[in-house]
Amino acid sequence: MIQLIIGQLLNGAIVGSLYGIVALGITLTFGITGIVNFALGAFMMLGAYFTWYGYELIGLPYPIAVIVAVLLVATLGLVADLGLFRFTRNNLVNGLLVSIGLISIIEASVLLTWTSTPKDLSYVLPGSLRVGGILLPKIKLAVFAVLLLVIASTYLALTRTWIGRAAFAYAQNPEAAALMGVKTNRLQTIVTVYSTALAGLGGALYASLYSLEPTIGAYYVLKAVESAILAGIGNTIGALVGGIIIGISEGIGSVFLPTAFRDAYGMLFLVLILLFKPSGLLGSK
Amino acid sequence: MGAGFARSVAAIFATMCLAIGGTAFAQATVKLGELEAQTGAINTFGWMSSQGTRIAVEEINKAGGFEVAGKKYLFDFTQVDTRGEPREATVQFRKMMEDKTPYIFGPFLSNVFNAIRPIAEQHDGTFLMLGGGTSLHDALGKPNTSYLMRTWNWDAGPQGFGTLMVQYIKSLGAKKVAMLYQNDAAGRTAVDVYKKVFADAGIDLSVDMFEPGTKDFTSSLAKIAATKPDYLFPGYTDAILYDIVRQSLEGGYGAKFFIVRGSIGPALKNKGEIEDYIAYVPKYFEEAEKTEPVVKKFVETYKAFYKRDFPYDQAPMCSSSCYDHVYMLVEAMKKAGTVHDVMKVKEAMMGMRYSGLWNIRFDPSGEQVFSFNIVRITKGGKIEVQAFDPTK
Repeated sequence: MIQLIIGQLLNGAIVGSLYGIVALGITLTFGITGIVNFALGAFMMLGAYFTWYGYELIGLPYPIAVIVAVLLVATLGLVADLGLFRFTRNNLVNGLLVSIGLISIIEASVLLTWTSTPKDLSYVLPGSLRVGGILLPKIKLAVFAVLLLVIASTYLALTRTWIGRAAFAYAQNPEAAALMGVKTNRLQTIVTVYSTALAGLGGALYASLYSLEPTIGAYYVLKAVESAILAGIGNTIGALVGGIIIGISEGIGSVFLPTAFRDAYGMLFLVLILLFKPSGLLGSK
Repeated sequence: MGAGFARSVAAIFATMCLAIGGTAFAQATVKLGELEAQTGAINTFGWMSSQGTRIAVEEINKAGGFEVAGKKYLFDFTQVDTRGEPREATVQFRKMMEDKTPYIFGPFLSNVFNAIRPIAEQHDGTFLMLGGGTSLHDALGKPNTSYLMRTWNWDAGPQGFGTLMVQYIKSLGAKKVAMLYQNDAAGRTAVDVYKKVFADAGIDLSVDMFEPGTKDFTSSLAKIAATKPDYLFPGYTDAILYDIVRQSLEGGYGAKFFIVRGSIGPALKNKGEIEDYIAYVPKYFEEAEKTEPVVKKFVETYKAFYKRDFPYDQAPMCSSSCYDHVYMLVEAMKKAGTVHDVMKVKEAMMGMRYSGLWNIRFDPSGEQVFSFNIVRITKGGKIEVQAFDPTK
């Protein structure tokens, strides 16, 4: 039983880090543009499909396919920002409506191009490692390491670079940041594109773990929003922590309770946290 | 001016009557509708049926149609994509009823059938529905369901593949099986069906159900593995099977699989790691293509028609409301001597044994009995195919 629980703790952390990378995009976009960008799930799905296309159909090495997919998704994120989100900044409802519309467009385009037949990548890193009697798939460990690295780098970039500090300043007081020379429009575009790229990376890594369908984004964006709220919107490391907590709640909950209600276990944890700490686990008052 | 206007109206009316009448005389049609999920997460069960039906309709229409009681007819064919959404299917089905479509292929999805059933019952006797959904089995023979014929064999029937397969794994020494199915209408029905089949065979069955949309099955698999089952019985679409088989093998949770819904694709992809993969396959096209001319012709026709590779993994699903059934319907209409009296056509179909891609007949309840294969894949990808033909 102990092995079973430890196994689920590790797996929950790995699965949760995928929620975390999208949650990071959600929290950054919201902090800087005032938009809850639900379309990040669709961008994640695009990242997964682009990776599948590059790796499986064109024959690119997996790391190259991931980089190309992330760049493509980031470019689409830029187009979406300049063509759509630029006009909805700091307007929660309009931003939400645009992002929902964008989901429909992206999903329909993928359906039209690649149909809904599930796509499955040839194994990128087959095999498992035995750690203390628990078998852990190598690819899951690799994905976990990459996600931790990216989230930690994002945190460092936000705290140690000028643009990161500018983003924090803008999130706290937009007018003051503008007066201090922060080019707010450019900053918002950079953050939106970076968030889209993060979602694309999440999708690209997801593609190495699971089969792909055009609807995967909807599931992950909900988990990501859940993770971001759990940790406290605006908290970079919190996005990862929130994702991991949701992932572990689902994994451990499924061991002791029926798997059919797996989604509810993370939700239950979220409700409990918000009851006692409405600003989220790591959020400030 | 009044007389002139009246003459003009009369002339226009006469011209319209001639045009409409002329068209009708030139081309009598029989409406055939198809209500299947061609896209969506569980389109596995509708996509191939839609593909095969279209080929048959095009072949028949291109050849000038078919003759019933001395009159030539073409098919007026409408396909709709339910995407597996009951609400969407309800709207589409209602439209078909308003259009007085007498013959409907599909649905293969139980949730879709459950949603449209009340509307269908209101129109009982006016149309014929040939669908494969599991929940159609329970509806057969109930009041106001004379419109219904189920185009899929029943797992637990006396000649059902499920009963046979359970006996088969029993002969391989299986004592405990773990079922991991999706928590939806079809999944719950399958659990009910197989609980009894396994109990009758004296095999212990444990059940775990997961939410639709689940991609990581590790926690379920770990929980199941702790009970040490001889076989894992996952379902029920390839989208799920690929993930479950992979995660089960990578996590060391089990390498023996028992499949009654889904293809052998996951086994072939993991042929180095699986120990045993026993799957119900309505037809193993890869082999049948070499031995059955009608299958070879169908594969070639498909490639030419859609200008793409033949989907060997999806093709077995053409055993339900698909290519053969269009030709069966034509034969039945000819035999009944009518295209309008759907109950007479149903009666004719019930009395037929058709040989096409499959050998097909219907049992007295209106449920399809047909030839099928059971495929066993063992480590390294060694494939054994067993053929069964309960129609004989």
